[in-house]
Amino acid sequence: MRKYLLTTTAVTAFAFAMWATGASAAGKWDGGDDLPTNPLECGAGAPAPAAPMKYDGAQPTNPPNLAGKEITVVDVPKLIGIGYFNATSKGIADAAKELGNVKAKTDGPTEAKIDEQIKFIDNYITSGVNGILFAANDPVAIAPVLKKALSNGIHVIGYDANSTPDAREWFVNQSPFNGIAKAMMDAMAKEIGEDGAFGIVTSTFTTPNQARWIAEMQTYAAKCHPKMQWLETVEAQEDNVLSFNQATTLINKYGDKLKGLFGMTSVATPASAEAVTKAKLCGKVAVVGLATPNAMKPYVHADCVKSVVLWNPIDLGYAAMYVMRAVVDGKLKPGDASVEAGKLGKLNVINGSEILLGPPFIYDKGNIDKFDF
Amino acid sequence: MSAVPTSARAPRIIVRHEIILAAILVVALIGLGRLNDRFLTVDNLLNQGRLMTEVGLIALPMTFVIVTGGIDVSVGAMVGLCAIVLGYSWKNLGFPLPLAIVFSLGVGAAAGLANGLLITRVRVPPIITTIATLTLFRGLAEGISQAHSVRGYPEWFYFLGQGAVFGVPTQLLILLVAIVVFGVALDRTSFGRTLYAIGSNETAARFSALPVDRIKLAAYALSGLMSGLSAFVLVSRVTTTRSDMGMGYELDAIAAVVLGGTSIFGGSGTIWGTVIGLVMIQLLKNGLALTGVKGDATIVVIGVVLIASVLIASSLQRRRE
Repeated sequence: MRKYLLTTTAVTAFAFAMWATGASAAGKWDGGDDLPTNPLECGAGAPAPAAPMKYDGAQPTNPPNLAGKEITVVDVPKLIGIGYFNATSKGIADAAKELGNVKAKTDGPTEAKIDEQIKFIDNYITSGVNGILFAANDPVAIAPVLKKALSNGIHVIGYDANSTPDAREWFVNQSPFNGIAKAMMDAMAKEIGEDGAFGIVTSTFTTPNQARWIAEMQTYAAKCHPKMQWLETVEAQEDNVLSFNQATTLINKYGDKLKGLFGMTSVATPASAEAVTKAKLCGKVAVVGLATPNAMKPYVHADCVKSVVLWNPIDLGYAAMYVMRAVVDGKLKPGDASVEAGKLGKLNVINGSEILLGPPFIYDKGNIDKFDF
Repeated sequence: MSAVPTSARAPRIIVRHEIILAAILVVALIGLGRLNDRFLTVDNLLNQGRLMTEVGLIALPMTFVIVTGGIDVSVGAMVGLCAIVLGYSWKNLGFPLPLAIVFSLGVGAAAGLANGLLITRVRVPPIITTIATLTLFRGLAEGISQAHSVRGYPEWFYFLGQGAVFGVPTQLLILLVAIVVFGVALDRTSFGRTLYAIGSNETAARFSALPVDRIKLAAYALSGLMSGLSAFVLVSRVTTTRSDMGMGYELDAIAAVVLGGTSIFGGSGTIWGTVIGLVMIQLLKNGLALTGVKGDATIVVIGVVLIASVLIASSLQRRRE
């Protein structure tokens, strides 16, 4: 009887493992998110403005009328302690100081875990803040707690990483997803040629912004750079060491075939550049990615990395805070086409309830020293 | 020395670990309540009950496992695996959702059983077994899910994680029932007494003709089953499945159990202690956050509380001997 129990369990476990590996053999890991994409035109030139869409955000239930009065706002990013969110936090603090009637605080989990982020937001709902700014670790999982905030009359604005539209009022989009995809793919094609092969190091396959960029990159590449080979996408969870290890694994796995690496997070890109440097492949393997200028200065100066794609995260936080204030003061309502954002001027509304910061910015050897974040 | 008193001597009861812990909890609650007027509201406390259910459901069988002198650090990975199996078997294999739920509970129990078999038959020490299965289960979860999440469950599915019955969150009711069942099992049944015997002196228990292996197997299988239930609650609460779910739950569960006075070497501990430990950690985190203490400082406070509790427990142990 005992022998049968052991054997049956072993066989079942083995069968399960085979099913799992079989399941993993089917279908490529691509990091995309199955939502519809909208690739831009090939070649240089600014993208045409998108057609106006109906407002699709949600509104808070009976928010208190605090127009012109002081409000408390909490900012809950994906995680705290990395340069990128330190920069957005600074932008939020700068805007709060400029506005004069906002008390802003940044608090969040020390790891990019959605469960922890939900608990943070939940606690702030209970403590009675007037507004919540967020950058979501998971667009669907964060929705219930944000809806709870809205039903408690709290204003909810997202930035950097969106939730489902019905869980927040507005989302400040740093750059249109297809614009980022175009900038990244064009930069990579310029460096490795139209039939080069590349790999991608991202955060996790369910992080909203990274998944959107990868999906857009896939369709844009299929449209404008069809001969480029997409080798593999790996996860590195916004962790430095893991990003480095994953990049090194890609380099070792594909050897000479790998001509380029994309870094999809501000942690993955310097780590990939470091991996390429350590493998002594600078100049032979191109690294293109999203990163903060400070992290990339050594690699750009060493000619390991030619271009870094980003927007200004300080401006992103700044804009998010101004949007929050505009919403509380009633200056930004569903159906509006633009909003005033302090020193950034007028920002346009796209995709129904998203506010666009601007086109992506390419940092390279010529201009990277002008920036300090 | 077992913490189960054979005859209740009144002065001894006062210095029991659980009573001291409960007293500290009450003091902490009053203190935090003074500092923040939203802390001791029914709304907030019920909400905290909702949020602590997932770790609570795992901490209960963890008490059993630690009482036998073992440990199970693969529970977090089992939660992730069961969550993925639930979503995947519903969406990709086409199971009707109730069947998918039962299937994922079954997978959890099977995973726990696998742990138990490795520990009792192959005689691998529990810490090593469960560290290995932790990686195995997490890897299976990632492999099956392809890192795609499963969304779009029907409305009734969310009742467990987000609904309420007479104002009490649904999952909290389930946790309360589980606490009673587990507590009675540990305190009053021969199953519970065997657990204590195994933890105090396994060889003696074996020679006393107690079914040591079968009971240990049951404890680890229960651990897996409750991980499956916890996964169900979690997916229902956050409306999506992710392969990284449950990461870190094992440490939270073990912290609650150890804080509650269960000796890590086995042989003593109660469910009631675990419950107090669980409640204390959750309410401390919540109370500190409401008072304006930031996330990283809260972690430091929890760590200090844990160390203090272990010191109290060991000094009590020394007094008794």
